[in-house]
Amino acid sequence: MGLYLVQQLINAFSYGSILGLLAVGYTMIYGILGLINFAHGEIFMIGAFVCYFLVTLYHVPWVIAALAAVAASTVSGLLLEKIVYRPCVKRKAPVLTVFIASFGVSLLLRFLFMMFFTDRRRAFPIPELFEKMYFVGEIAIGLRDIIIFVSTIIIMALVAVFIKYTKVGTAMRGVAYDAKTAELMGINSIKVIVVAFAVGSALAGVSAIEYGLTFGILNPAMGFIPGLEGFIAAVLGGIGNVPGAMIGGFLIGGGEILFVALLPPSLSPLRPLFVWALLFVILFVKPTGLFRPNVKFEGLWGE
Amino acid sequence: MLLSIKNVTTGYEKAQVLKDITLDVEAKEIVALVGANGAGKTTTLQCISGVIKPWVGSVSLGERDLAPFAPYQIVAMGISYCPEGRDVFANLSVYENLRIGAYLIRDAKEFRDRLDRVYSLFPRLQQRLNQLSGSLSGGEQQMLAIARALMTNPDLLLLDEPSLGLAPILVESIYNTIQEINAAGKAILLVEQNVGLALEVSSRGYVLEKGEIRLSGPSPELQDSDYVKASYLGIA
Repeated sequence: MGLYLVQQLINAFSYGSILGLLAVGYTMIYGILGLINFAHGEIFMIGAFVCYFLVTLYHVPWVIAALAAVAASTVSGLLLEKIVYRPCVKRKAPVLTVFIASFGVSLLLRFLFMMFFTDRRRAFPIPELFEKMYFVGEIAIGLRDIIIFVSTIIIMALVAVFIKYTKVGTAMRGVAYDAKTAELMGINSIKVIVVAFAVGSALAGVSAIEYGLTFGILNPAMGFIPGLEGFIAAVLGGIGNVPGAMIGGFLIGGGEILFVALLPPSLSPLRPLFVWALLFVILFVKPTGLFRPNVKFEGLWGE
Repeated sequence: MLLSIKNVTTGYEKAQVLKDITLDVEAKEIVALVGANGAGKTTTLQCISGVIKPWVGSVSLGERDLAPFAPYQIVAMGISYCPEGRDVFANLSVYENLRIGAYLIRDAKEFRDRLDRVYSLFPRLQQRLNQLSGSLSGGEQQMLAIARALMTNPDLLLLDEPSLGLAPILVESIYNTIQEINAAGKAILLVEQNVGLALEVSSRGYVLEKGEIRLSGPSPELQDSDYVKASYLGIA
């Protein structure tokens, strides 16, 4: 039992990382724009597909493909911001309009990919090297688990430092809180929004690689559930709060894996229950989320 | 002429607020813009800082018309707006607020110099550097808002109701500081409901009523004017 639990802890960390990275993207964008970027899950998905095609069709070395995937997600996010969301901001669109636009783009991307690539699940390329297992006593730790662990820690530390100590990161927190006043400090809030989308989308790309390494599959709809859970994690952590989102991700993702691990197998379809039950409980007890949210109004155009 | 507002009519969306106002500020002087609540004083400052644009007329800094510029660009030109109601970033510490205020400064030495200047004007802030600004008292928040506006080393400082909601002793302290800031060479356009106070520190004043300039002139003249005395100073 103990051994099984430790194995599950490793999986819990992996899934927690995946959700944590997604959650940071959601929370950054929501914090600044008051926008739930429904298409974030598709930006995630695009990263996975780029890696898949580069490796299987063009035989690009895996590491390069992975980096290209992160770049592709970043570019997708930036295009999304420029084409869909910036016009909404510039025209001071009502929140509901942006909400619908976001949802629409999510569906559009998902179904475009389904149309071109069919809905079938494909095998995510995992380098043979990564299949290597290390044994600590009786516990099996795959190289891919280690890679996910190390890269997540490093990336999350970098993001935390960025958001807390750099000028741009501080400007982001300021714009999230009060964009109008931030403009009065000489901050071009459009530039800050672009940075938020770039960072958030890059993290989604990394998350997609980790997802591919962990679960080994990809398909056009793969972004839907992790995206949703990532968003819940962001809300749980206090919306707009980046470290909160990371912790929220681990709570939801890690908790879900452990929940299933501890359940008798016949009850494992109850898995989604965990996420919703946890959300319900926490929002009941602390509606603003576990940590301090980083928003003042509901959006850039202040209401 | 540092700042020149000529025949400006403007408002928000479809609601007109200001009607044909003309106002100017010379370098290094304190000009008071006074009036009752709702007269359009904040609207005037928002129009100068670029948050809203004139429908008719122009706002110019020196020779340059400010109409094509966004607020973040106007700040870079040397106009700093300290909004009404403090509006500090409550989720950030005192130091972080000042850091954001200095966003346009690229040189580390210049940043340090500005910080030192601000600390000498407001020693209380230096004591509370890492405190969340949301937890500061009203007076301290006002100090922070002004300090933050000074971080860009503006030529013209727009102060919107700095005395609002503060205890008299704090108001006195802030006003002393305002005079110190002016003595250091900055022009100040001071918007106030507290007419008496504003006319005390300023060299010239404008009285705004329902979006129009009712009276203007050297402050001592305004202080002596029967109209101002009766309507704003409570002296019959």
